[in-house]
Amino acid sequence: MANAKLEIVNMTKLYNNGDGVKNINISVEEGELITLLGPSGCGKTTILRAIGGFNDIQSGDILIDGRSIINMAPEKRPTAMVFQSYNLWPHMSVYDNMEFGLKLRKVPKAERKQRITEMLELVKMPGVEKKYPGQMSGGQQQRIAIARSLLLRPEVLLLDEPFSALDAKIRQQMREELRKIQTDLNITVVFVTHDQEEAMALSDRVIVMNKGTIEQCGAPAEIYDRPVSRYVADFIGEMNFLQINGKTLAVRPEHVRVRKGTGGELDGFVRTVMMLGHYVEMTMDTDYGIVKTFISEEEAREYHKGDPVAMDFSKSFEY
Amino acid sequence: MVKNKSKWKSAMLIVGFLAPALIVALGIVIYPIINTIIKSFQDPSTGAFTLENYSYLFTNKLARAHIWYTIWVTVLTVVLAIFFSYLLALYLRFSNSRIASVIRSLYLLPRFVPVLVAVYALKMVLSDSGLINRLSMLLPESWALHNFKPGLLYNAKGIILANLWFNIPFATMIISAALSGISSSIVESAQDVGAGKIRIFFKMILPLSISDVMIAATFVFMSNVSSFTTPYLIGANHPMMLGVYLRKQFSSRKYELAAAVSCLIFLFSSISAIVYIYTNLKEKAWERD
Repeated sequence: MANAKLEIVNMTKLYNNGDGVKNINISVEEGELITLLGPSGCGKTTILRAIGGFNDIQSGDILIDGRSIINMAPEKRPTAMVFQSYNLWPHMSVYDNMEFGLKLRKVPKAERKQRITEMLELVKMPGVEKKYPGQMSGGQQQRIAIARSLLLRPEVLLLDEPFSALDAKIRQQMREELRKIQTDLNITVVFVTHDQEEAMALSDRVIVMNKGTIEQCGAPAEIYDRPVSRYVADFIGEMNFLQINGKTLAVRPEHVRVRKGTGGELDGFVRTVMMLGHYVEMTMDTDYGIVKTFISEEEAREYHKGDPVAMDFSKSFEY
Repeated sequence: MVKNKSKWKSAMLIVGFLAPALIVALGIVIYPIINTIIKSFQDPSTGAFTLENYSYLFTNKLARAHIWYTIWVTVLTVVLAIFFSYLLALYLRFSNSRIASVIRSLYLLPRFVPVLVAVYALKMVLSDSGLINRLSMLLPESWALHNFKPGLLYNAKGIILANLWFNIPFATMIISAALSGISSSIVESAQDVGAGKIRIFFKMILPLSISDVMIAATFVFMSNVSSFTTPYLIGANHPMMLGVYLRKQFSSRKYELAAAVSCLIFLFSSISAIVYIYTNLKEKAWERD
């Protein structure tokens, strides 16, 4: 683990009201994009803010390139943070916003100009130097905010739900662009989100958090295919939960095979058949709860409310 | 033609709705102002046009002292009130301590105490035989502070002190509202790129709140340049604030001179009103669409 870019060791940060995070251990490789995923209040932002220096921690350590940074003020840390919104300074033009940090680092004027122009090209927003934040859309503002952070060449880029205030289409687009820039520049990113789809699409690894602790850490596919707990199974993707003989059986809708009649692993009756575009969602009543599956439009024509259905599970989990 | 008629009709309707307010304003604001302006240019005995009243104000040694004293006390009140209010507002905005939350719920209290009550209370505490003096009497006689006399009443110090008591809460309220409009992420992202506290103040917080600070300052200026109760009760006999001077002229039946003093106070107030309107109307580059 000596060559980890960012390492969080046994970190604990508790607020007065008892919320916070306990015994957090995370290791991020150089050039990796890691996502902290969880519902609000699970402590994901607490960890991010601790890395950025905006939260002091009670115990443990945070290392970047093997050096502890916990005693550094935010302005001294080799990290850059992008917040959910209101990142840009409203009274400064885009150029002034981007130049501010470079000036503090005493970068010569000509180099500042060159680097800002290049960075605006990179985020596909050339020519907006003279605009003020209030004259741009939310998506454009976040782009500039990310550009402003990248300009300072941080060791680790911290993103706190940067796209959550944007509408779905723009969010999708920003996601793709961020991933591209991140891989092109090979930067280390810690990304916080409550959107599991965003986490799956964007990350090399996802850390699923629950009430201040890490529930599971792994590649998106690994977390989806092998959720270690009921909580993760429930939070990531869709899942049917069936209470059978005191145990919980969890089955993803795509792992439910259906045929008309009886004699399957589980039998039930059609409850609803809902057309959702290129696929159909069918739910079935069983003795152990409702089961959901996805079928094609063609198949769906054979099923009507109340029909008996036999189900087989190609894959299931037990908790 | 039809269109013109309906336009004319709606214009009349607007005038009709505004008329009551307009008549009241004309009667109790505009008319007295015009009356006062005319009177200030009249000779007391003949009623003829004269500049005598104003030239008296600007040449008479005593009157000039009153004018300078008023400006001096008011400006000092504004500067000190804004300085302390800004500090207090910054503290309230950026501190999460218990003390801050207590102050947050208490700082407006002085605004709810009537001026007269507050001034008399201040007198009780500050006067040379008041509470401070009584407490100092409890000290051993050999101490220098025994029988301490604050010497704060019947001079500019007392007036300014009382002014601060009323104006700091008010200015803090306005500046606090401006500061609470500055999102934490604006400050934190400045910190993040490497700015220290002082730079954050001068580069972020000050430019984002300066127009509200100016507005607070003009309000403090306007209410203090013409103040009467406070200087009347705890000011000196000489020099005196223009409000007190005005009353003195009035009670000696020098109505024309009193009118000239009124106009002068009005002029001072309008200067700060112009500043206020200018700050309010000035569209900043970053607010333009």
